[in-house]
Amino acid sequence: MHIPDNYLSPSTCAVMGAAMIPVWTIAVKKVKSEIARVKMPLLGIGAAFSFLMMMFNVPLPGGTTGHAVGGTLLAILIGPFSACISVTVALLIQALLFGDGGVLAFGANCFNMAFVLPFLGYFIYKFIKDRVKTEKGEYAGIVLGSYLGINIAALCAAIEFGIQPLLFKNAAGQPLYSPYPLSVSIPAMTIPHLLVAGVVEVLFTVAIFAFIKKVSPGTIYEGAKQKTRAIYGLIVALICLTPLGLLATGTAWGEWGADEIKDVVSGGNALGFVPEGMKNGFSFETIMPDYAVKGLPDIAGYLLSAVAGVAILIILFKIISGVKKNKSGSIPG
Amino acid sequence: MPEWLLKDENYIPQADKDTFVNKSILSLLSILSRFKTQSGYRVETFRVSAVLKVAFTIFLIVLLSLSRSFTFIIIVNVYLLLILSMMRTGEILKILRMSFIVAFFTFIILIPAAFWGNYYSMIMITPKVFATVMAVNILSHSTQWHSITSALKTFFVPDIFILVLDITIKYIMLLGEFSLNMLYSLKLRSVGKNRNKYASISGVAGTMFIKSKEMAEDMYTAMECRGYTGEYRVYTKTKFTYADFIYMMINIVIIFAFFYLGKV
Repeated sequence: MHIPDNYLSPSTCAVMGAAMIPVWTIAVKKVKSEIARVKMPLLGIGAAFSFLMMMFNVPLPGGTTGHAVGGTLLAILIGPFSACISVTVALLIQALLFGDGGVLAFGANCFNMAFVLPFLGYFIYKFIKDRVKTEKGEYAGIVLGSYLGINIAALCAAIEFGIQPLLFKNAAGQPLYSPYPLSVSIPAMTIPHLLVAGVVEVLFTVAIFAFIKKVSPGTIYEGAKQKTRAIYGLIVALICLTPLGLLATGTAWGEWGADEIKDVVSGGNALGFVPEGMKNGFSFETIMPDYAVKGLPDIAGYLLSAVAGVAILIILFKIISGVKKNKSGSIPG
Repeated sequence: MPEWLLKDENYIPQADKDTFVNKSILSLLSILSRFKTQSGYRVETFRVSAVLKVAFTIFLIVLLSLSRSFTFIIIVNVYLLLILSMMRTGEILKILRMSFIVAFFTFIILIPAAFWGNYYSMIMITPKVFATVMAVNILSHSTQWHSITSALKTFFVPDIFILVLDITIKYIMLLGEFSLNMLYSLKLRSVGKNRNKYASISGVAGTMFIKSKEMAEDMYTAMECRGYTGEYRVYTKTKFTYADFIYMMINIVIIFAFFYLGKV
């Protein structure tokens, strides 16, 4: 679910980042007041934990394996606000130090995985746990919370992908970023999550929760005592989600005007794309000169290719000599 | 010598599937090795200040994302390849592998769009992704991570985040080694068919959580003993070096190229 850069437009990234700022501010305040200072380092260690949790592979039927995100588990164990900060930091390390997930898309990734996932998962868990006071109720809450949490997060990511072709196009009408509309991106993202990733997440969450409850029940986050808070939290979470919905539907309505509606009515999305694409599609050759090195003065073009050639050659030689060194080193040993 | 010791044993352990344990061990090892290369002193490849590197890398990624000029993207790719060529072989291999995998994945994802006649995405996004991944990885491989976190401080990131980030980086290493040992022992102790292996994986992760909680409490007491009050400052002596100047000039040329080619 890590969105890389260049799939979302910079402005979408900015909007998502801006949406996260109040969440982070509230989370920091909440954590400062709610959690004793003694537990401050727990946030860092929680982040390390959530980072490592993605390294654990869970066996799946058919001999394959998958890994969980663990957002709901973390929210249940250390509280949703702490989980938000921990996952944010884990995502930052992945983006900045491991190149996994975009630097610009960091806001969007945080929105999906550090906000929607732990909060929704936690509040569903809390809502069911408060209503059904048995142990079964608690586990039902965990199952539903973790399953819905990861799936709604995936849906959010799908919506972010899907609104790109509606919002950002070049003069020729071709999408500038992720080219797939909502009709493609939503099934592409949600079906694997509904079928596989969601199941992995549930298995992982339930198994670890059961283990910790058995071994050391005191370490689990207690949360608010009042019953009503959970439902308010759910409502707040849903309200926070609405700007995204507005963005999706509002602009979709605007953009679906005149020409696109025609396409949709006449032949569905997949077909509707072709005529427009065919027009510009054959301009493959005509577009290319504009973008190719020809756009530069000749000398600059030569220079550029020369520099590229030198860089690639140096890289090749270094790799070859590196491989040789390794081989010659291994023979005597 | 007791007699039972001299008897021949022909116990052949039943084959058992443990791909998930192996895979977990491998992914943990790859993370840990990445952290290990960071620890310890080493001479940095480029003596450019981390603040400049972080700032311009992010700026470069923004420009790449905004650009609609294929020429600009090629220029940035060449520039990054040139920087890459000055790095160590091991680093070059890792960075190239990562960039190629991500770019190839992007390419595959965009093939259906090309069938619909949308070549633009495939031609533009694939090299953009390649350059972005390369840029971030060059930053992360050529800079000590603690100088990246202290660079974040100059960009007004709140203290609590930097503290958490610092602790996280250190504890990924500690907890990672801890759980790696647990996985090894799980592997060693399951001789033959072990039906409880699937249940043990939750034990490994659960123990990791309990352990991390204990470590956190210990750490806080240790910090308090040394006078930690909840806030801290970063002392940096920033000297503007010759390398910084060259790095800035190169980046200004790239920014200039962005606007020049944007007009065409």
